[in-house]
Amino acid sequence: MGNKQTVFTREQLEAYQDCTFFTRKEIMRLFYRYQDLAPQLVPLDYTSYPDVKVPYELIGSMPELKDNPFRQRIAQVFSEDGDGHMTLDNFLDMFSVMSEMAPRDLKAYYAFKIYDFNNDDSICAWDLEQTVTRLTRGELSAEEVSLVCEKVLDEADGDHDGRLSLEDFQNMILRAPDFLSTFHIRI
Amino acid sequence: MKPSKASQRYRSIQRNASQCYLYQESLLFSNLDDSFNADETGDSNDPEQIFQNIQFQKDLMANIRCRPWPMGQKLRALRRAKEIVLKFEGRLTRTRGYQAAGAELWRKFARLACNFMVIFIPWEMRIKKIESHFGSGVASYFIFLRWLFGINIVLTIMMGAFIVIPELIAGQPFGSTASKTIPKEHVASAQDLDTVWSLGGYLQYSVLFYGYYGRERRIGRAGYRLPLAYFLAGMAVFAYSFIILLKKMAKNSRLSLASASNENYTFCWRVFCAWDYLIGNPEAAESKTAAIVNSIREAILEEQEKKKSKNLVVTICLRIIANILVLLSLAGSIYLIYFVVDRSQKLEQSKKELTLWEKNEVSVVVSLVTMLAPSAFDLIASLEMYHPRTTLRFQLARVLVLYLGNLYSLIIALLDKVNSMSIVEAATKNNTNHWIDSTTFFATRPAPEEQKWSTPRPGIGLRKNSTWALEEAGAPTFIMPPTEANRTTLHTPSPQDQCWETYVGQEMLKLSIIDMLFTVASILLIDFFRGLFVRYLSDYWCWDLETTFPEYGEFKIAENVLHLVYNQGMIWMGAFFSPCLPAFNVLKLIGLMYLRSWAVLTCNVPHQQVFRASRSNNFYLSMLLFMLFLCMLPTIFAIVRYKPSLNCGPFSGQEKIYDIVSETIEDDFPAWFGTAVGYISSPVVILPAVLLLFMLIYYLQSIARSLKLSNHQLKMQIQNARSEDKKKVAQMVEARIQTQDESIKRLPKDSDIVSHLSSAHSATPQNNGNVVNFDSPSSKSGRIETVTQSVPQSPRAGHGSLSPPLPGISKSRQEHETHRYPCGSSASTGDIHSNRPCTPVMLQKHMEDIHSEPLFRKVFQRSNPPLHRPGTSALEAYGHRPRTPKYYVINERDSHKKSHPAFWPERHFKVDVSGDIVEMYPRNVRQYVPRAPHQARSPQLSEEEEEMLRRDLIKQSLHPHSLTDLHWAPYFYIGERSESQSLAPEDQGRRYCKSWNDGFEGQLDRPVYLHKKPRSWHVQYPQHPLKPRVKPKFRPSLTESDSMSAASSSDQQNSSTDQYLQVIHSQPKVPRSVGQRGRRKAKSGQELTTDLNNLICSNV
Repeated sequence: MGNKQTVFTREQLEAYQDCTFFTRKEIMRLFYRYQDLAPQLVPLDYTSYPDVKVPYELIGSMPELKDNPFRQRIAQVFSEDGDGHMTLDNFLDMFSVMSEMAPRDLKAYYAFKIYDFNNDDSICAWDLEQTVTRLTRGELSAEEVSLVCEKVLDEADGDHDGRLSLEDFQNMILRAPDFLSTFHIRI
Repeated sequence: MKPSKASQRYRSIQRNASQCYLYQESLLFSNLDDSFNADETGDSNDPEQIFQNIQFQKDLMANIRCRPWPMGQKLRALRRAKEIVLKFEGRLTRTRGYQAAGAELWRKFARLACNFMVIFIPWEMRIKKIESHFGSGVASYFIFLRWLFGINIVLTIMMGAFIVIPELIAGQPFGSTASKTIPKEHVASAQDLDTVWSLGGYLQYSVLFYGYYGRERRIGRAGYRLPLAYFLAGMAVFAYSFIILLKKMAKNSRLSLASASNENYTFCWRVFCAWDYLIGNPEAAESKTAAIVNSIREAILEEQEKKKSKNLVVTICLRIIANILVLLSLAGSIYLIYFVVDRSQKLEQSKKELTLWEKNEVSVVVSLVTMLAPSAFDLIASLEMYHPRTTLRFQLARVLVLYLGNLYSLIIALLDKVNSMSIVEAATKNNTNHWIDSTTFFATRPAPEEQKWSTPRPGIGLRKNSTWALEEAGAPTFIMPPTEANRTTLHTPSPQDQCWETYVGQEMLKLSIIDMLFTVASILLIDFFRGLFVRYLSDYWCWDLETTFPEYGEFKIAENVLHLVYNQGMIWMGAFFSPCLPAFNVLKLIGLMYLRSWAVLTCNVPHQQVFRASRSNNFYLSMLLFMLFLCMLPTIFAIVRYKPSLNCGPFSGQEKIYDIVSETIEDDFPAWFGTAVGYISSPVVILPAVLLLFMLIYYLQSIARSLKLSNHQLKMQIQNARSEDKKKVAQMVEARIQTQDESIKRLPKDSDIVSHLSSAHSATPQNNGNVVNFDSPSSKSGRIETVTQSVPQSPRAGHGSLSPPLPGISKSRQEHETHRYPCGSSASTGDIHSNRPCTPVMLQKHMEDIHSEPLFRKVFQRSNPPLHRPGTSALEAYGHRPRTPKYYVINERDSHKKSHPAFWPERHFKVDVSGDIVEMYPRNVRQYVPRAPHQARSPQLSEEEEEMLRRDLIKQSLHPHSLTDLHWAPYFYIGERSESQSLAPEDQGRRYCKSWNDGFEGQLDRPVYLHKKPRSWHVQYPQHPLKPRVKPKFRPSLTESDSMSAASSSDQQNSSTDQYLQVIHSQPKVPRSVGQRGRRKAKSGQELTTDLNNLICSNV
């Protein structure tokens, strides 16, 4: 117990609990996971809000993310300046959104950002191509990929502008039966 | 004050909205919200306002975790909200303050409790580990197991607290009454292993089974009504299970948001919901990838040919055969179980000493059937050649039917035995030898009880006779009784042996134990030893064990879940007769949890078949519900149909088990209550009540149906409205652009080209897409305007119809592309080799366009002599029409605008562009060959150029054509590319060609590689700070901007070259043509030739 109190102040822990879907225990666990990534970089005292970033290379090598084809996107979306380097806050943010407690809408919003590779606030054919190639590790031929992209746009593009807006995406994803169960990372 | 009022209103609206809505708004207004927060710190004296403000802040605090803001913003907002609340709360009335304080206290307490509860969730880490290895499908099995474990704990507590513990504490001790003593004949063998094994001996006369419980109406000093409690607890088990199951199902279906089986999104879901983010294991990731590829291919196939069935007759025949086989095996298994039960019955009656096998054959056979039949079904299913998912469904249905059949045939056989047992009982009663026993037993009872029972006692004999007659009429095995009775009197002298409830309980418990043993054995054999065998003998075997025949065991989620359901069914079936069964099941589930999780982690591979997790959640539950219902039926039936045993159990001596309730009502409640219950239970009340219920159900169902309909309609409406809106907006934008265009449109030549271009462009949709999306984050309309303003000659007309929001870059690029797409337009980017042999006729046409304007070139060249840098001969850069420079400007601005932090896709795009350039270049060259004389002799060439040309001609007799033309295209693209990268114009070194070369060669060699590669994002950083400086420099004049753009393309590659260098290094093999081209490029500047050579050398 004493150990925990030195890392965060009580207020900090309260605030983190308010801002995430985690309990105190989970926050501490996440912190130690974070700290383990770069023990020499991350201090064990966070009461003074140190400005520390763990580089993406370390974040991406976490077992939870290691095999995820979208790990880079995840890191980019949640990092502050889109470079994938994460502060503890970003880190908590990421796992909070990916936790099973997070509501559908929030997850859908971030899923959209993750699949929006070029950050243009819409998922276009190119983003789709990227998604499919990563998902299948390039095992589909170019024709197949383009066919799939076409089909996806066909299905979900409510306004026929050739790209999926956030609404289109939410509309589609919120009806998916297993989105909630698959779009989450346990830690 | 006004804005704050507006914000107040907005806030109060927001407060009333649901959380979800709040969230939606917060997406749109997140910034707005922030600003509100900012001005909320301002004072206001209206208490109502303050209150609302505080309420809003509290809402914010409660929901802040649901906002899609970065953590920093959330923390800040939270702090501010807390401050505001703290600051203003004092001004409120006292009651409100207390309320608030109370709420705060409660919240803290709830959080504490929540934190505390988490500690007690068992196996969290274990399940997470499994989840990360195998994905959510396998984990769902363990979560389901854990959930069942929880239910069983509650059942155990119910049974333990209300039945077992009172009996142990206050009931008569072991050996005090006949039903609690082991008969003398059995005492000797009571501790033998096989007796214990078959749950006889001490176990039979213990709290484990129904028979042990005393029949006194009240026990202990407090007068605990054990029989009543027994009955009520037994029923409560079912009630609780039903309620908890339905609750869970309702919650699940609420979570899945009524997906309404919209299968319109097959592809979307297969793409966006395919990846299981839980997977953290390379093997699992691999198989998941394979599964995704399969599912996508499958979807494509299904899409392409809507199921062409080949050889229909054969498949139908096979399917019929398979179904017959399944039915046969089902019937066989049912018959087998029935036969075994029957045989064991006969054996028990004829033999005194039974062997171990004979005692256990029923449960062993049942467990064997449950274990083996699913595999048989699996084999049969492969005959049918269904779609895998259909196969899975069939398999599940069959296994479920099998399990149910097993349980039912078992229970029917048991009840049959119960039938005969009650006959035996009746018969033994005739030999009154045991009657003494029971009378002494009665004599020992306390006086009041005696009195109570004195009345029914005389009737007992009568009743016995009447049941006897009943059995005579009904039982099929009736012929036996007289002889059987005689025989059994020999073998089973004591009546307390004949306790059918205990017998059923014993059988159920035995079944459960054997099932557990078989599960353990199957896990060890099928998973563990097979895994060991495959792992260690694979090297010495004739074939690859790991991939061909035995392989590693897969974790079959569906069957395992079904097994759990079956197991739980057994518990429900037997719980009434064996109150400790739930407790046993708890132990069993704990053991199963550890064993399974160990087996899964050590020797299983992830299932190839993707079994939808969440959908299956309710699927599991509905199976469980089904099972619960079907398992409740036999128990209820037995309770209703059979008379409780005479000499054992809490209900002995009653006509029916449930008589206990009416008895209690009559005896222990006031008289009016009894009459009231009598009225209520009369058909006069029951029938209307049932009718009312039916009406209610019907009404609710019709309401649900109409709601569904209106829901659907609303959805359609929303969709319509949205698409209308978008259409309108698109039209407006289009209209505005067109009006602007018309006022601006000038050069017909340009528009020609552009229309031409656009056609070429549209022919390559992929490329187009890339371009379009390239920098759309910035406001589109704004950019379009810039384009039109700064580029008066802009060929918008051609584009108006295309797609209004096309950013400037795409347009400018299109123009460039005229020259390179003509023949490549048919093929998409990256396919260099297919592009090469293009039709020269087409090209000629374009070339004409291009060459029609040599004059421009001349003019510009002369006007800007001082701009020529030694290394970067701007000459080529001016080689195009005068409008191009303007595009550069736009490009510059565009690239400036897109100051978005993430740059990878753009990078990618750039690479593509450069790739395109490279592709096209040789083609252009070839096309120019015949025209070369014109150009080469033309006076527009600078001396430098001519000199170079001459030299070049000497050097390369192969390509004696115009340099200007040659370089025209490459320069063009380079300029653009570099601009879009928005690199600093300051350092205009000579490496221009080098960088160009690099991109070019790399791309040429291996376009695919580059295509995949463009994510080295460290390179991007230096660009941002440089942009602002770039912009002003390019503004002053067209020509200058052009030269600058050309120049800027020269060395800025400093940053980006690294990447290209990498590319080249990885591809040391440069084709000869590239080398030639490189040399050709070298002509661009005199100094460059050497410089460039050096650079190329250094690069390669």
